[in-house]
Amino acid sequence: MKGIRLFRLELGRLLRSPLTWGMVLLTVVSPLAGLLLYKPASASTMLTMYLANPSISGGAAGGIFFGILTVFELNRVSRSRAELLLDAAVSPLTMALMRMFSLMSAALVTLGVTMAVWLPISRSLIGSVFGILDYALAYVLFMGLALPLGILSAASAYQITRRVDLSLALFAAFAGLSLTVWADRWQLCWLNPCVWALSDDFSNFRIFRSAAYMRLTWLGALASLWILSWMCIRQYGKGILGSLARSVRHIFRPIIALLLLVCSVTAYAAQPLVDHSNPDQTVFTFLELEYLEGVICSGRTAQIFPDTSAGTVDGKASYQFQNASGQIQTVAFGINPGYTVSAVWVNGAEAAFEVGDYQEFNEAMLEVEIPAEEAVELTVEYGGFPKESRNSSSMQGHVEISEEYLCLENATLAPRLMNVLPDEGMYPAVIEVTLPNSMTVIPFGTGEAAAVKELEDGTVTWRYEDNGTGGILYAGDYIREDIEAGGIAVELYYGRKHQKVMEEVGGAEAVKEVVNYCTEHYGVLSFGTGKALKLIQSRVAGGGYATDGASLLDEADFTAANLGDGSKGAASGEVMIHELVHQWWGLGNMFDSSDENNPWSAEGLTVYTTYRIVKELYGEEYAREHYIEQWQQAVDDYYLNFYVRNPEYLDELPSDQQLEISNSLSYVRKYCEMPLKILKAEELAGGEEAMDQILYELFNRELDPTYPYLTYEDFLEACGLKEEDLNLD
Amino acid sequence: MIKIFRYECKRLLWNKFFFGIGLVLLFYGWQVLSNATILGISHTAPFSPWSFGDYLCRMMPLLWIGALFFLTFFTSAKAKRMAVLTDATPALPGHYALARCSAAMTATALLTFACLAEAAVFYGWYFKWYHWGTLLLTAAAVLVPPLVFALGSGWILGRCRPWLIYVWMLLPMGVQAVSLPSMLGVWNGSFFTEYPKTLGMMDPAFTMPPAAIAAQLLLLAAGIVLLGFRCFGTERQPV
Repeated sequence: MKGIRLFRLELGRLLRSPLTWGMVLLTVVSPLAGLLLYKPASASTMLTMYLANPSISGGAAGGIFFGILTVFELNRVSRSRAELLLDAAVSPLTMALMRMFSLMSAALVTLGVTMAVWLPISRSLIGSVFGILDYALAYVLFMGLALPLGILSAASAYQITRRVDLSLALFAAFAGLSLTVWADRWQLCWLNPCVWALSDDFSNFRIFRSAAYMRLTWLGALASLWILSWMCIRQYGKGILGSLARSVRHIFRPIIALLLLVCSVTAYAAQPLVDHSNPDQTVFTFLELEYLEGVICSGRTAQIFPDTSAGTVDGKASYQFQNASGQIQTVAFGINPGYTVSAVWVNGAEAAFEVGDYQEFNEAMLEVEIPAEEAVELTVEYGGFPKESRNSSSMQGHVEISEEYLCLENATLAPRLMNVLPDEGMYPAVIEVTLPNSMTVIPFGTGEAAAVKELEDGTVTWRYEDNGTGGILYAGDYIREDIEAGGIAVELYYGRKHQKVMEEVGGAEAVKEVVNYCTEHYGVLSFGTGKALKLIQSRVAGGGYATDGASLLDEADFTAANLGDGSKGAASGEVMIHELVHQWWGLGNMFDSSDENNPWSAEGLTVYTTYRIVKELYGEEYAREHYIEQWQQAVDDYYLNFYVRNPEYLDELPSDQQLEISNSLSYVRKYCEMPLKILKAEELAGGEEAMDQILYELFNRELDPTYPYLTYEDFLEACGLKEEDLNLD
Repeated sequence: MIKIFRYECKRLLWNKFFFGIGLVLLFYGWQVLSNATILGISHTAPFSPWSFGDYLCRMMPLLWIGALFFLTFFTSAKAKRMAVLTDATPALPGHYALARCSAAMTATALLTFACLAEAAVFYGWYFKWYHWGTLLLTAAAVLVPPLVFALGSGWILGRCRPWLIYVWMLLPMGVQAVSLPSMLGVWNGSFFTEYPKTLGMMDPAFTMPPAAIAAQLLLLAAGIVLLGFRCFGTERQPV
């Protein structure tokens, strides 16, 4: 009872302080900085611009303001030289606890006021895609939890040092690190969570989980530090060690601190969100596995049960093998590192298996021995919370699994067979997935899904046939629009919430124009089955991909902000254009990707063609400014880069730094240097029409089945040029 | 006066604040060096004067805060109460102020030296590069004017209202957040990322345009004037 009375007194005193109200006011106003000055999230969706950035900046500023307030509040009694009097009346430890609760309560009130003030503003800025759940989660996780972290860290610093100056310096450095050098390290940026985008059209639970996990990890660590510092509070005229020795007599105090520390360190080390993929993205160990001799795969099936509320997946995948080798063989699968393999059966009997520690491109290797029998049926039961690749850990949110959206790619869908050849060039697969009945299932490829069973719990089982070792599956609350263009039927899928924007921006027309352009200039596409092309809107991803019969459309291609931004002209949808063009360059014509360091890849011609389409659709000036000038700038930067000019210094660096630098450099060569070279080839070959004719002939050339790739030499020969002719000045 | 200076140095240097902020600076500095400076600034080497200047600009907010905190030893309410006693000593107030000012400068210089030494260790460790002398001009141009100004302006503000020093600590953070004209780019580091690119050559030697030199000299002069005002404009308060 005394504690409650003290808390009420302390809270009342705190709320009467002008400094408190100053800090509260500044914190309430601080989301404004996210609209004007500090914009850590870079995507162009409405929720990113008008919800993520304001809430993150509110959290960063609020955390700092409450940290400063904490130091001055804890120093208040000492400043007014009333310490001895107060210590005689109330235990300094009790008082520190009450101050902490009061500050936390003030932070809670501040969060409530901020959310109330910004709710109508956010609603009007975001428009039709505003959702109250996104709003509440963004403000609580991105902003709200920064305030207790600021309070705990500043209070810890003060309680240990007992000096305002040193506490503020420590706090400034701690905050400064988060805002600068730790800003892209998702587990370290305690003040400003590493959020690059929020989706307008689909859910954002994965990125909210990531931010919450980081916050809770830090909350545990800083709470532990705070308890340690609390035990250091000077009492009975003793120094720091004497006070600590006295405080630890209550054994539960150090035990709680230790437990919290162990929990947070464990949470940091064993985080479930990001894997440990090899950061060297030029290494393809799994792709280079040798195929087993005498073993073929004649088919596979998979039953997948995503849990849309927990964001997890359970599945059972079966593979049919024919083992003509007469020997025991070890079959290898790639599996998402977040999954646990619970059991493996071979021909009905439980079999031993091993999941390796090495991870590459978001896969770990599962190895199972199959017996020396002619027909082998192997079944894998797996499940868990899928992890994202650590190479894109600063852009999390990709593996979203909810009732609104689901994306399962390759080894995240089912174990991907890595070292067994198919029977007659085919890996026939039958996939069944059970999802809530509000979701539409869209296989990313030529397959068509059909609902085969409606279950009593409101879920529906969908089935589709596929071919290959992996496969990608999208599902969500989608609308389908059918478009005829370039002699093919385009199935355009986009989120229901996006309908209004797509109608206003003329998304279907844009798709039609791109397909018509490519068909006219390069030729008609032909797919393995039928003549349909799926164009599927994904959650905001910052890029995309394409496969035979399907391309991705990033939701950031068509946003209400792009629509209203006159400076962008009509040139939204450029990722969509890029991925559609991949149907011609990359799929219609294959490129040998065995040498990752070779700048000649599908990307060069695709980026060049995207530029040509943008030029035709939106004008020469726009295309020059947004394509040629940006390529040139990136290429100039590349050749001026210190490590490109002095590779011997790159070798001196630690391997992770080497990889970070070399990965960023290889991107420039493929996406910027090669398009510039093709542009130069266009000039030398006689202009755009001549280049179009050359590309038409290359696209429609007779393929050599033993080496069906389009090489740089083929391209140079078709242009009548030599390699050195395309050297850039 | 030397005795007073030594005494004030002992007060500033032999306490946990100095060691604490020293450790904070070293930790922060290593993070900056190994995450940002190592990439090289404006296409130059990580150990070029330009990359080194960028590193110093990133360290400036903490050095600025450290320098101002040293002043709080002399301008706080507690120190003002002590002034009744020090004013009663036979030492001239101007001499007393000069000794304190020198002590604050010494402490700031030692913190600065820790940052410089850390960079030197980093360059030797990663790149086997030891031509530290080539970086001294950059260090002088980047650090001396703002730190002298911090001490001069902070002292004056602290004497007006002790809490103004704490507000003044936020200045470099504000400067880093806004875009400044190119002549003031040294203050927020944009000079080191932008100016070398305008020189039209690879790995240019360190130079500053006259406008930027003038801005730094003006800042230095302002700092010296404010310090001089504090040291030589101090008279004993009538009792």
